[in-house]
Amino acid sequence: MDINNLGVAMALLGAASAALLAGIGSAIGVGMSGEAAAGVVTEDPGKFGKVLVLQLLPGTQGIYGLLIAFITLSNIGILGGSSDVSFAQGVMYFFACLPMGLVGLWSARRQAMASVASIGLVAKRPDQFGKAMIFPAMVETYAVLALLVSLLAVSNISKIAI
Amino acid sequence: MAVLQMQKISIYALKKNRKEILEYLQLRGAVEIIDSNAKGNVFHKADVQQQRAKIERNIDQIRKALEILSQCTNYKSGPLSTFQGRSPMEFREYRNAEETIPQYEEAAYNINELDRKIAENKAELQRLHTQIDALSPWLSLDISMRTKGTKYTRVFIGSVPEERTLEQILSDLAQAAPKVKNVYAEILSTSADQTCLFVLCGRKDAEVVEYALRGIGFSYPSSPAENLPQEQCVQLRERAEQVQKEIDSAYQKIKSYADDRMALEFLLDHEVMRAERNEVLGRLLQSRRTFVLTGYVPQRDVDNLAKTLSEKYGVVAEVEDLTEKDDPPVLLENNAFAAPMEPVLESYSMPGRGEVDPCTVMAMFYYVLFGLMLSDAVYGLIMVVGCGVLLKKFRNMESGMRKTLQMFLYSGISTMFWGVMFGSYFGDVVDVVSSTFLGKEVTIPPVWFVPVNEPMRLLVFSFLLGILHLFAGLAMKMYQLCKAKQYKDALYDVVFWYMLVGGGIIYLLTMEMVVSMLGIGFQLPAVVGNVAAVIAGIGAVGIVFTAGRESRNPFKRLLKGLYGLYNISGYLSDILSYSRLLALGLATGVIASVFNQMGSMAGGGVVGAIVFILVFVIGHTLNIGINVLGAYVHTNRLQYVEFFGKFFEGGGRKFNPFSAKTKYYKIKEEN
Repeated sequence: MDINNLGVAMALLGAASAALLAGIGSAIGVGMSGEAAAGVVTEDPGKFGKVLVLQLLPGTQGIYGLLIAFITLSNIGILGGSSDVSFAQGVMYFFACLPMGLVGLWSARRQAMASVASIGLVAKRPDQFGKAMIFPAMVETYAVLALLVSLLAVSNISKIAI
Repeated sequence: MAVLQMQKISIYALKKNRKEILEYLQLRGAVEIIDSNAKGNVFHKADVQQQRAKIERNIDQIRKALEILSQCTNYKSGPLSTFQGRSPMEFREYRNAEETIPQYEEAAYNINELDRKIAENKAELQRLHTQIDALSPWLSLDISMRTKGTKYTRVFIGSVPEERTLEQILSDLAQAAPKVKNVYAEILSTSADQTCLFVLCGRKDAEVVEYALRGIGFSYPSSPAENLPQEQCVQLRERAEQVQKEIDSAYQKIKSYADDRMALEFLLDHEVMRAERNEVLGRLLQSRRTFVLTGYVPQRDVDNLAKTLSEKYGVVAEVEDLTEKDDPPVLLENNAFAAPMEPVLESYSMPGRGEVDPCTVMAMFYYVLFGLMLSDAVYGLIMVVGCGVLLKKFRNMESGMRKTLQMFLYSGISTMFWGVMFGSYFGDVVDVVSSTFLGKEVTIPPVWFVPVNEPMRLLVFSFLLGILHLFAGLAMKMYQLCKAKQYKDALYDVVFWYMLVGGGIIYLLTMEMVVSMLGIGFQLPAVVGNVAAVIAGIGAVGIVFTAGRESRNPFKRLLKGLYGLYNISGYLSDILSYSRLLALGLATGVIASVFNQMGSMAGGGVVGAIVFILVFVIGHTLNIGINVLGAYVHTNRLQYVEFFGKFFEGGGRKFNPFSAKTKYYKIKEEN
């Protein structure tokens, strides 16, 4: 068996893990903050809009994961086109996807904790919504940076001929 | 454009005009009352507790009446009611409506009473049904449940636990009381958890039989009725029907008040206003015939207010400028372009003392950043149309809501612009639809470039925008410092940083590695690089020597200076933070194309078209929702953390005038 046949499989493993890990992180995160948000709404249904925004903040990692997975899939030709990926390239795709997957998983959980705390803040002081939104958004920075690295890597691998 | 200048007004007036003056001030809503302490024994504050409790009781009652009315008449306020705002009301109408208050106070009282009655009757109904249920196992009994027997017989009517047959019971009895010959038993009804019995025996055997019955768990019913069970049941049913009728009629009566909803809403507003006046009354300094009111007024209103008050009510109004001791509230005034930023600023903090209103500069960047993160022409169009329709339809919208919608409207325009620049219309829907259904791929070319194909280019542009944004923040700081005549601080804290960061960036652009990495088409000549390096060096040295200027100890000063220079890493992370413009911009486009592609998977033809439309509508609705939220949060973050971090601290208190904080009607002042 030609080892280069495994290239596309490695790349797919990368794409899947980006979507998988980041998606798991966001699912956990949105779930956690959703519980907190539901608690606030039982007391005061008027805060629904505000806590909903805070609940959704840890959801972006999943989207970033999807983004990386999708770009990888279309670059390696799984969504049509030729799937001409060498083994080295496949491994590179795999590594390129890792930052988004792992940072996505971890940052979504951590962001959710900040979100939960911010939901508590909004429950007590609704006027501080602007600040409450910033704390979880600070965590997101690192997911954005990971996305950036994965994105730049994934979109340039096909230009390297190995 | 600015934070409005405040002035202090003191109003000296006669007590007999007190109500009118307070009412006027409330409707005008231009004065924030200052608490002042009574000195000497001429002036004192009135105790308004009792009055307050009474008004609050009223408010509760009316609020509850409105709630009951809504429930009984299925009144729903509709999904768009958030935008509705308060209906305007002329002062004359307000005075007329005040006349009818006693009548509607009574209506509110009646509604509450009817509701109480309904609740009582419902409890009664529940009790009746329980009684009827309890009777149902005894219905086949054709004598009174209280029957104890005749002269020579004894009757036991009651139940034993669990389901039993007649044979079981008879054999149990025979076992427990073998000597008793004549026992007649009849089962009235059985269910899974009890068996109702009628047992007859001779009076002389009564004790033995009773003992035997107890042995198998026999018990008498808890509340046996005097009448026959059948009759009792009919009576209870009649009573239940009557109670139900009473409930229905009470509902009808409540429903008959449906037309009074508006009057009740007015009444609620009226009482809320009264509560606020009462609260202010408790803060006034009053003597036997006069009272004094002091407060902050925006300078633009003060002359007019003082004039009207003295003409109308003969008060003496004294206007003073603020002193150092005062802690004035903050009121902002901006033009249509920058005013939508006010709610955004407010949710961070109002400008503190000596700070400028950053709305105008914020607005310039806000719309651009928002648009860049969403960057889809059709999404932008949807936002513009949606917000535009709402703004046009709901004329009385509250100003906070209006400003927020305007913010989204302007951001939508910017989103459209960037969408056209990047060639994104519902992502790549044109390509997908044309190749799936028409068999020929049509692409709307971007005016500038496609970010997915050239992410580096957009990244560089994002950083550039970020540097501009940060430098604008530094410029704001410079402006603030110059305004406070702290020119030296402006040099140390702003100009040196401009030199260091600006020089550093220009120097980087002369390096071949950086230029090729960023994919910029030009490289600055080495001479420029040298000049830039010198400028950056001067900046750096300047920062080292001045950043610790508060410390007297020279050693400590130097250390603090070096630490100050370390802040350059802060600038690095600030600039890198703008990479989210690329990330979010790409996210919108890529997710949109994911949905388009999913939709096209069913192929062409009618079925394909139906699948496509379904996926398209759901997918893009979801995508707009998520990405508008993302763009909003991250634009705010860039403003709050990166931009405000350079110059803005906030901590001001929002102007909160004595006004009519009503819910349904906006009453215009008398003129």
